[in-house]
Amino acid sequence: MSDATLHRPAATRPSFRRPTDEAPALRAALILVAVGGLALLVAAPLAAVFAEALAQGWAASIASLGNPDARSAIRLTLLITGIAVPLNAAFGIAAAWLITKFDFRGKAFLITLIDLPFSVSPVVAGLCIVLLFGANSALGGWLVAHGLPVVFAIPGIVLATVFVTFPFVARELIPVMIEQGRAEEEAALTLGASGWRTFRTVTLPNIRWALLYGTLLCTARAMGEFGAVAVVSGKIRGQTATMPITIEMLYNEYLSVAAFSMAALLCGLALITLTLKTVLELRHADSLSANRRH
Amino acid sequence: MHIEIDEIAKAFGTTTALHPVSLSIPQGALVALLGPSGSGKTTLLRILGGLEFPTSGRVLFDGQDATGMTVQDRRAGFVFQSYALFRHMTVFDNIAYGLRARPRASRPTKAEITRRVTRLLDLIQLPQIAARYPTQLSGGQRQRVALARALAIEPRMLLLDEPFGALDAKVRKELRQGLRDIHDETGLTTVFVTHDQDEAMALADLVVVMSMGRIEQVGRPADIRNRPATGFVRDFIGA
Amino acid sequence: MMRAPLIQRSAMPGLGLSAGITLSMLSLVVLLPVGALLWQGAEFGAANIWDTLNRDRVWAALWLSFRLSFLAAMFNLVFGVLLAWVLVRYSFPGRRLLDAAVDLPFALPTAVAGIALTALYAPNGVLGSLAADAGWKIAYTQWGIFLALVFVGLPFVTRTVQPVIDEIDAEIEEASASLGASRLYTLRNVILPMLAPAALTGFALALARAVGEYGSVIFIAGNIPLRTEIAPLLIVIQLEEYNYGGAAAIGLAMLLISFLMLLVINLIQIWSRRRIGHV
Repeated sequence: MSDATLHRPAATRPSFRRPTDEAPALRAALILVAVGGLALLVAAPLAAVFAEALAQGWAASIASLGNPDARSAIRLTLLITGIAVPLNAAFGIAAAWLITKFDFRGKAFLITLIDLPFSVSPVVAGLCIVLLFGANSALGGWLVAHGLPVVFAIPGIVLATVFVTFPFVARELIPVMIEQGRAEEEAALTLGASGWRTFRTVTLPNIRWALLYGTLLCTARAMGEFGAVAVVSGKIRGQTATMPITIEMLYNEYLSVAAFSMAALLCGLALITLTLKTVLELRHADSLSANRRH
Repeated sequence: MHIEIDEIAKAFGTTTALHPVSLSIPQGALVALLGPSGSGKTTLLRILGGLEFPTSGRVLFDGQDATGMTVQDRRAGFVFQSYALFRHMTVFDNIAYGLRARPRASRPTKAEITRRVTRLLDLIQLPQIAARYPTQLSGGQRQRVALARALAIEPRMLLLDEPFGALDAKVRKELRQGLRDIHDETGLTTVFVTHDQDEAMALADLVVVMSMGRIEQVGRPADIRNRPATGFVRDFIGA
Repeated sequence: MMRAPLIQRSAMPGLGLSAGITLSMLSLVVLLPVGALLWQGAEFGAANIWDTLNRDRVWAALWLSFRLSFLAAMFNLVFGVLLAWVLVRYSFPGRRLLDAAVDLPFALPTAVAGIALTALYAPNGVLGSLAADAGWKIAYTQWGIFLALVFVGLPFVTRTVQPVIDEIDAEIEEASASLGASRLYTLRNVILPMLAPAALTGFALALARAVGEYGSVIFIAGNIPLRTEIAPLLIVIQLEEYNYGGAAAIGLAMLLISFLMLLVINLIQIWSRRRIGHV
C-alpha cells in the first residue's frame, strides 16, 4: 500500500456523498426497477415480434411479405400516410400561424378543439366518420350515388387517419412560434417582403426542425393507426386492408409468421422514427419546444 | 462558534477553485468573504456549510474536526442566493420545515413549533405573512423569510450567499441593517459572501478579500481600506 | 365596458388563408363527424340511449374500461415518476437507450403491441408460461388488459415529469438538507410535491388514452362478455350489426367520459398555476 492511499483526500473517501444525491443502494435499486420494468414492458415485446416473425426462418418471413395481399397492404399504408401526413402538416402550419400571429377572441377554445382528437377514442373517431359519411346517412348516400364512397373506401381511411393525428404538427409548432414571437416577420415585412416570401424565408427556417419533429410523430401514428381504420375500412382484403388491419386478419387466421413479419416491418419503421426523433432532440434541441429539451 | 479553516483546497475536475487557504473566524464575528466572481468565495462558504467537500484540508468547529460531518448534522443556517424557498409551502411551513424534519425524538411539539415560527416572523418584522406563498412576496420579504427559515433550526452559525444580490438599492440598504441587528441579537458567528465592497465594508467586522482561489488579505474594514496588502486589493477596493 | 373586437387588426399577412385552412379542415375532419355523432344520438333519443346503456353487458364493459384504465394510469404514475427521476438524475451506461425506449409505446402501432404482448404473456408464451407455472394467468384475463393499458400509457407521466425534474434548482434540495432533512424526507416533502402537478397531468393523459384504447387490448383481452370485454369493442360489435343508434349511444357515453377527463386536466393545471405560480 502506497502513501497516497493512506492519506486519501476527503473528496475520494468512500463515504463521500453530495447532499443532493441518494444513497448508493437506493440509487442502484431505482435504476434496477427502471431497467427491469422497461425490459418487461417494452424490450421484451419488441424482441417477441422479431422472434415470432423469424420462427420459421428468414425465407418464410420474407415470402409472406411478398404475397399479393401483403404487398397491397403495404402500398395502401404508404399511400394513406403519403396523403394524411402532408394534409396534417399543412393544417398544422396554418393553425399555428393563425394562433400565434393574430389576436382574436376564442383562441383558447380553438386550441381545445384542435386538441380534442387526443382525448377521443380512435373507435369513436371511426364511428363519427361512419355516421357522417356512411351509406345510411343522407350525405353518405348522396356521395355513394355519385360514385364517391367514403366509408369502406380510401377517403374514409384518410379521414380517420387525419382525425387521430390531427393535433400532432400544430402542437409542436405553436410553442416554438410563440417563443420566437412576431418581430422577425415584422422586420421582413417592413423591408418590403411579401407575406409569402416572409413565411418562406423567415418563418419556415425557424420552425423547420419542429415541423420535421411533428411530422415524424404524425407519420409514426398514421402508419400504425388501427382502431379508427378498423371501423371505417370494412377490412376488404387487397382493397382497404392497411398493414395493421392485415396483421389482425393474419393473426386471427393463425398465420403467425405472416402476421409477425408484417408487424416486424412496422416495428422497423417505428424504430427508424424513434432514431430520427432522438437525433433531432440531441442535435436541434434549441429549435424544438421547451418540453422536448431533456 | 469559532470556525477554523485549515489548509482547505478544492478542485472541480482539473479546475482549481481554491488553493490551500487557512482562516480563523472568532466566535460571534460578522465576516464578509469579498471578491470578484470566480474568486472561490462561494466555494469556501459551501464547504463550511457541508454542501461541498474539500479536496484536502480540514474544517474545525470549536476545535472539533467537522470536515466529514454531513450537511444535516452541521446545523449551519444557510441562506441561498436564490433564497430557495419551497414554492409549494406557505411562509409558515417554510420556516417550520427544519423543525418538522427532525426525527421524532427531538422534534418539538406542534404548539412549540407554532410559537417559534411566530417569534421568528416577529424578529424579521413580517408577522402578518404566515399564510402567504413565496410567489406572493416581494424580493426583500423573501430574503427575510429565508433568513428566518435558517434561524429556525437554532443554527450554530449563519452562512449567507450573496444575501442582497437580487435586491434593488433601496431595499438592500434596509436589509443590511436588518442582518446587522439579527446578528447582534443572536450573537451567531456569521459569514456572508459578496462581490460588493461597499456592502462588505459597511456591514462586516472582518473582511476577507479573495481572488483566484486565494485569500489576499484579512482585516478590519478600515485596515483593508487604509493599508491594502496587495496590488489586487488596492485595485479592487479602489474600484 | 366595450368588448374587444373579434379579431385585432394586424399588419401580419395571411389571416384569410390560415383561418380558411384551419377552420375548413377542423370542420371537415373533427367538427362535422363529432356533430354527426351528437345528431345520431339526438335522433336515437334519450330513452333509447338509456335502454342501450342500461344492460349488464354495457355497464360491465364501461366499468371494466374505466376501472382498469384508472389502475393502469396509477401504475404509470408511480413507475413514470420513478423512470423520469432515474433518467434525469442518474448517469449509467445505456441511459440514452433507456430514454429512447420510453417513446416506443408512442411509436409502435397498437395492433403490433397487442399481438406482441399476447405472444409473450399467453400461457404458452415465454413470460406467460413462467407466470402460469406460478398459477398466474395473464393473457385473456383482466391482467392482460391491465398490461396492455400500462404499455400504451407508459410514456405520458415520464414525459411530462422529466422537464420539471430538469428544472429543479439544486439550491432547493441543498436548502432542505441544510435545514437538517434526510434525503428521503427531502424527496417526500420537497421533490414529490413539486412534481405533483405535472405528474397528475401525465396521469390524466394516460387515463384518457387508456379508456379509449382498442388495438393493443383486443388481442390480449379474450373479449369474454361481462368479464374481459372493453367498451370500444362494444361499439365495433354494434357497428358490425348495423346498429348505428346503439353504437352512437355507447360512443356518446365514452365521449362524455373523455370530456370530463379533459376538464379535470385543465382544472389541475389552473389549480397548480394558482398555487405555485407555474405549471
